[in-house]
Amino acid sequence: MTDATLSHPAPASNRGAIAGGIVLAVLAAALAVLPLTMTLSAYVLNMLMQAVTYTVAVLGLTVVLGYTGQLSLAQAAFFGIGAYAVALGTVDYGLGFWLSMVLGLAASAVAGAVLGLTSLRIGGHYLAMVTIAFQQIVTLVLVNSIDVTHGPDGVSGIARPNLPGVSLANAKAYLTFCIVVLYAVGLAVWYLRRTRLGRAMQAVRDNELAAGVVGVNTYRTKVVAFTISAILGGLGGALFASGFSYISPDQFSFAESVVFLTMALIGGVQSAFGTALGTGLLILLPEWLRFLKEIYLAIYGLSVILIMVFMPEGIWGLLERIAHVGGGRPAVVTPRPFRLDIPDSGPADILETRGLAKHFGGLRAVDGVDLKVERGSVHALIGPNGSGKTTLLNVLSGLYRPTGGSVSLAGRDITRLAPHERCAAGVGRTFQNIRLFRSLSILDNVLIGAQRPGAPAKGEAALRERAFEALGFVGLADKASELVGSLPYGHQRLVEIARALAGNPTLLLLDEPAAGLNPTEKQELVELLRRLKGHGLTIFLIDHDMAMVERIADHITVLNFGKRIAEGTPRDVLRHPAVIAAYLGEVPTHGAA
Amino acid sequence: MSITLQLLFTGLGIGSIYALVALGFVLIYRATNVVNFAQGDFSMIGAFLMVVFAVDMGLPYWLSAVIAIAAMAGFGILFNYGVYYPLRHRTFLPVVISTIGASILLQNGVLAAYGPHPQSLPAMLPFPGIAVGGVFLDSQYLLILAVTGAMVVLQYLFFERTMLGKKLQATSQDKEMASLLGIPVALMIGITFAYSAVLGGLAGILVAPLLFVSINMGSTIALKAFAASIIGGFGDVTGAIVGGLALGVVETFGAAYISVPYKDGFAFLVLFLFLMVRPQGVFGEKVAEKA
Amino acid sequence: MALLELISVTASYGAVDALNAVSLRVEEGEIVTLLGANGAGKTTTLRTISGLMKPRSGSIRFLGKEIAGASANSIVRLGLSHVPEGRRIFPGLTVRENILLGSSNRSRVPKAELDRDLDAAFGIFPDILKFADAPGWTLSGGQQQMVAVARGLMARPKLLMLDEPSLGLAPIIVQQVFRTIAAIRERGTTVLLVEQNAHMALSIADRGYVLETGRLIVEGPPATLLNNEEVRAAYLGGRVTAG
Repeated sequence: MTDATLSHPAPASNRGAIAGGIVLAVLAAALAVLPLTMTLSAYVLNMLMQAVTYTVAVLGLTVVLGYTGQLSLAQAAFFGIGAYAVALGTVDYGLGFWLSMVLGLAASAVAGAVLGLTSLRIGGHYLAMVTIAFQQIVTLVLVNSIDVTHGPDGVSGIARPNLPGVSLANAKAYLTFCIVVLYAVGLAVWYLRRTRLGRAMQAVRDNELAAGVVGVNTYRTKVVAFTISAILGGLGGALFASGFSYISPDQFSFAESVVFLTMALIGGVQSAFGTALGTGLLILLPEWLRFLKEIYLAIYGLSVILIMVFMPEGIWGLLERIAHVGGGRPAVVTPRPFRLDIPDSGPADILETRGLAKHFGGLRAVDGVDLKVERGSVHALIGPNGSGKTTLLNVLSGLYRPTGGSVSLAGRDITRLAPHERCAAGVGRTFQNIRLFRSLSILDNVLIGAQRPGAPAKGEAALRERAFEALGFVGLADKASELVGSLPYGHQRLVEIARALAGNPTLLLLDEPAAGLNPTEKQELVELLRRLKGHGLTIFLIDHDMAMVERIADHITVLNFGKRIAEGTPRDVLRHPAVIAAYLGEVPTHGAA
Repeated sequence: MSITLQLLFTGLGIGSIYALVALGFVLIYRATNVVNFAQGDFSMIGAFLMVVFAVDMGLPYWLSAVIAIAAMAGFGILFNYGVYYPLRHRTFLPVVISTIGASILLQNGVLAAYGPHPQSLPAMLPFPGIAVGGVFLDSQYLLILAVTGAMVVLQYLFFERTMLGKKLQATSQDKEMASLLGIPVALMIGITFAYSAVLGGLAGILVAPLLFVSINMGSTIALKAFAASIIGGFGDVTGAIVGGLALGVVETFGAAYISVPYKDGFAFLVLFLFLMVRPQGVFGEKVAEKA
Repeated sequence: MALLELISVTASYGAVDALNAVSLRVEEGEIVTLLGANGAGKTTTLRTISGLMKPRSGSIRFLGKEIAGASANSIVRLGLSHVPEGRRIFPGLTVRENILLGSSNRSRVPKAELDRDLDAAFGIFPDILKFADAPGWTLSGGQQQMVAVARGLMARPKLLMLDEPSLGLAPIIVQQVFRTIAAIRERGTTVLLVEQNAHMALSIADRGYVLETGRLIVEGPPATLLNNEEVRAAYLGGRVTAG
């Protein structure tokens, strides 16, 4: 089967999409040129200018918050950096618009990257607070360094740029130029979502822990998201400054950052279209409400509450739900048989730990464990609740940094590697509490697994093919376009396994894969694991179902209080007195294969 | 030496205000997992209620304070039903935006009623203050410290020693499980909002004689209070108090020795550096996530 | 009169039917178990009974009183306690506080009586007594499960509904949990048990129901279910040919 078979999954709907695209493009072009042909009052022009330049900045929030899930409350600061670069560059330093703008974007990018870099240390509310702190500091500098920024009086007389052969000095011409820039940015942001980077961002948003384990460099992804967001903020600001020819610090305050955030969320932050809608609406709404005189801003606040109460996913979210836009591309593909590309050379023990330890304060969760997992075997880890099994697995997959000892994979020391680097080295895993990317389709979940660094599949077509192979292997290829949340629990576990398999691992770590499955489903799982073993994959698993462990495991290690208390074949280990006393209670009487 | 002590006293006084508002933040966050952007406006409303009762209606000062605080409790319940409750099953962000909308509504509602001119209130105690050694202890600051101290003790006793306090905590940790045990969850959340509004209103009433009463007086306080709760470790009650006091002191010393215009920036810079060194805040987050 | 009776209960998540005309009875003093595959609707059945979900149609009677559509906290006040899947211990409260809160459904209980009930709970689960003042999140899965059941018993329920009490527990702890369930019934509490561990569940149950995609397909005493070819094949892991 070639790439061609995969690239035309549904020709009819594709043709529809192309036709729709053309209609949209024509409409968009007409909208852009419209201001040129109409007589517009200065008031209307100003509002349009504001809406267009704001939307560019708010699209930055679509990337950082909508796609990557990081709350940034400093978008007005980046907007201000871009605006002041153009203002001061053209008015005080005579640098011209284009050079000033480039400097402004560079400054925004650096500031954005620095904010992103702090995400190595902190996340969630703390990161949001850092963005607020940055916002406050920028505002204070704008107000107080009067020598440089002109202080609270602001900067006036900002020039508009020229394009080769075209003057943009006229407000209508400049507005058209801004609309064209907005289209380019909007399209890029819309497309970003469908790229490797965009999927990585959404993986970070939905489940950061799992994203790292399936090979996404979460830290770099966040830094890139913050940088892109800051550049778009700066670009919006640069366009804004020239559009209005006068700026002052209060236009770039924390309150404005909150306004940007509100615009993004009212429209629907996960969609570029929604962002544009929300921005337009929040600029127009106060104008529409002006007839209410003194109370118009109060009614505006009330409208924001009402919109959220009745459309919590934003306006675009509501429209999408009504129209079922973007739901399902019915890609009915018969996948190629699944294969794993596992080198058969290398040491006999694919995984080896020496004196591995993980302490939490005084608690020795894992306390000096030596472990050897033979290539191509199924190795089970059992032990009482709280004996350190999951902690050990977390150390193996890099989520915890060990307190002591070493881990090596196929002879290579991986003790210091981050989760995504271990994934690249060939370690795949699943979680005890299923950790899927909940807002994405099953296919996208598995695609993120397939695109891990170092995996054989390159390019979108090959990635999709690989994802379908993995889904076919677990028997879910026909459900590829469904959302993971709609699947029953047992199938969600299979998606997690497929996600790990798509990345072509050499070692698969499974944390209680049979939990919550009934005996018949467990039997299907055993069959699946046996087929995987047949492909040469080494499997290291934790489970409490001894009947299953006995049937599938070649080797068992028993942990208690973070130490290894027994090791060997199922036959020996399950009759070991210490294991019976600490863990089994009574010898299993049924299920022996 | 006496200057240092004087600054310390002032810093702790201002810090107490931040601490009161930060406590309100933390309580609502723990009950609903939402950061309430209108928390500062609770202080503004509290201060304006004082203007209504004490200045406009000419009621005795202490009586006005009592009525204002009672009214804040009712206001908190209304706020819950208008702003949070309809969105209780939604994720974090829609609720945050709803509270932002509420903040705009409250500020501009008061603006429509009172106009843009700031109001002023007299000091609450009948004497200007007392001098101890070389340090002058302003009566309003003394009152703020005393009230904050009393609130902290009361709150501790309430949450740690009463069954109702435990039920509130249980509700904030797992609403569905709480309802399965027979805890009336909606009532618990209503109480949390009422109490949080009382704390915010109290801060506004106490700080009003020191500042002018204006519609955006709450915004700055709320931002500092949020910073304070982050320094302390978000979601932690002790952390909110310690963070608030620390921020007040840092800011007062920064303004005195470094730069007045950059006073606010100094506080945020310290916050920034602090978070880099200790990302979980002083008291960290109690509950570790299990993978 | 049955203690609990469901008559033709239908419930749905959005457009998807989760329960389709389910009718079942639990008599006083019984242990009844509900078996079925993942997504068959077992948890949904319990959630609908305890008021976490509203049924779309049908009738749910507890002690002869209609409770369909009533709120969760009013249903538990009637003496119907639901210990949900996943233990759901309040992580920031101590073990003692967690268990005490189980009595929230009873109004104005004298302190002495609460203390007696608390002692009785620790009597059933002596292993958790030494953690009484430790925060809930520090306990292991098995210990948390014991706290969850103890908390459910503090409601003094007439009917205790347990959802997957053996999930994720070591075999030795699973045996202990099932012995405790049997003991709870001996004390006069009726039990409705949802379990994936079908063999264990049937070993202590008086009757069982099997759910399949939201419908009840078989009902009967353990022996009947164990000997039913279809049930064996689908839910008990017994292969029809090579079994």
